[in-house]
Amino acid sequence: MTCREAGSLLHARLDNELDMAGLASIDLHLSECGVCAARYASLETLHEEIAAADLAYAPGISLERKLVRQYAGEKKSPSRFWSWNWLNASVLAAASIGTLVLLLSVPRFWAGGDTDAIGAEILDSHLRALQTVHQVDVPSSDQHTVKPWFQGKTSFSPPVPDLSERDFILIGGRLEVIHQQPAAAIVYRRRQHVIDLYVSSSGEGNSKTELFEIGGYHLFHWMQNNMNYWAVSDVDPTDLRTFVDLIRAR
Amino acid sequence: MWPHMRAAYNLARWLVRNDQDAEDIVQESFLKAFKAQTSFRGSEAKTWMLSIVRNTAIDFIRRDKTGIDVPLGEQKYEPKDESPDPERVLLDQSRREQVRQAISDLEPEFREVIVLREIEGLSYKEIAGVLLIPMGTVMSRLSRARNLLLAELARDSAGRASGGAA
Repeated sequence: MTCREAGSLLHARLDNELDMAGLASIDLHLSECGVCAARYASLETLHEEIAAADLAYAPGISLERKLVRQYAGEKKSPSRFWSWNWLNASVLAAASIGTLVLLLSVPRFWAGGDTDAIGAEILDSHLRALQTVHQVDVPSSDQHTVKPWFQGKTSFSPPVPDLSERDFILIGGRLEVIHQQPAAAIVYRRRQHVIDLYVSSSGEGNSKTELFEIGGYHLFHWMQNNMNYWAVSDVDPTDLRTFVDLIRAR
Repeated sequence: MWPHMRAAYNLARWLVRNDQDAEDIVQESFLKAFKAQTSFRGSEAKTWMLSIVRNTAIDFIRRDKTGIDVPLGEQKYEPKDESPDPERVLLDQSRREQVRQAISDLEPEFREVIVLREIEGLSYKEIAGVLLIPMGTVMSRLSRARNLLLAELARDSAGRASGGAA
């Protein structure tokens, strides 16, 4: 191998991009050629220096906030457009066949979306959080730390009761976007099970607690004082029900 | 929630060299990505996201700087990530600043391959996917970029040595 041929292979070796044959031939050359060996050593030093300099820029929290706001705004416009059409069509239909009642009785759970779909979205969000290290934005077992954290991030103040006496341990909270709406996720632990309580301000009035079962997971949904609540976990549904009753009764 | 946001921001920040513009570019890139309605998962999604960021940043530089890559008022670099890896031996501050400055002073086409390879740790294939160029071009640009860096840093060291002697 000539030094010219070795040129780009030096970089490929440094970047672990060579196969066994390539590696063997460049290593043979390096053992024979002092000039290329010195060159390789300087590239290696550069590589190590850049790593040691730790030069990645980390985004500030302001960026995440901007994205949440943008996402909420962006997803809202097409869906509003869509519901307008839907509304017009329904009003026409209602006028012609006199079933306006149907339209009015369509439950508006989470910003008028359909509850099954939202349940699936909640479960998705819950599972995603479990899979990553990002379970909480604010890790704290202190309700007086978690509750104020949401101030300025959500337009409402989610309930963060201390339920440790009943063996539901507060872990923290995080911000989520569920069905185009910002939602607070309050995270509790029951033994080894994580319970996510999703709260958003998009509810209307009060409703009974409903149980949903999706893929072996249990979800409870209810509305209380114009707020929407979802509780989701793989914990025993009886325990989850106890949790829900405690939250409702707080 | 925001897949690859960290990598997206890092790339944008290196390309436009200013916090505010980098945030705007990431925001615009996510908007484009959401509009495209494609899945965000997997390593291909990362390449795709970075590709959007890169193109958005290039557009931004062209639009705002009328094609001339003038050095922006470089803000003093302050690390935001307060969790240092204890295993990692940090360079002394002045050397670190030299390395950072040398990368920052590279032409964008060389800077981006260094950032993607040396800072983001992407493979040649992934870099080719982000920049939409053949792997051979990735290799030649990377080797050119490293040679430029080595030359610049050698000059810095020489400057420092002679400065110290004087």
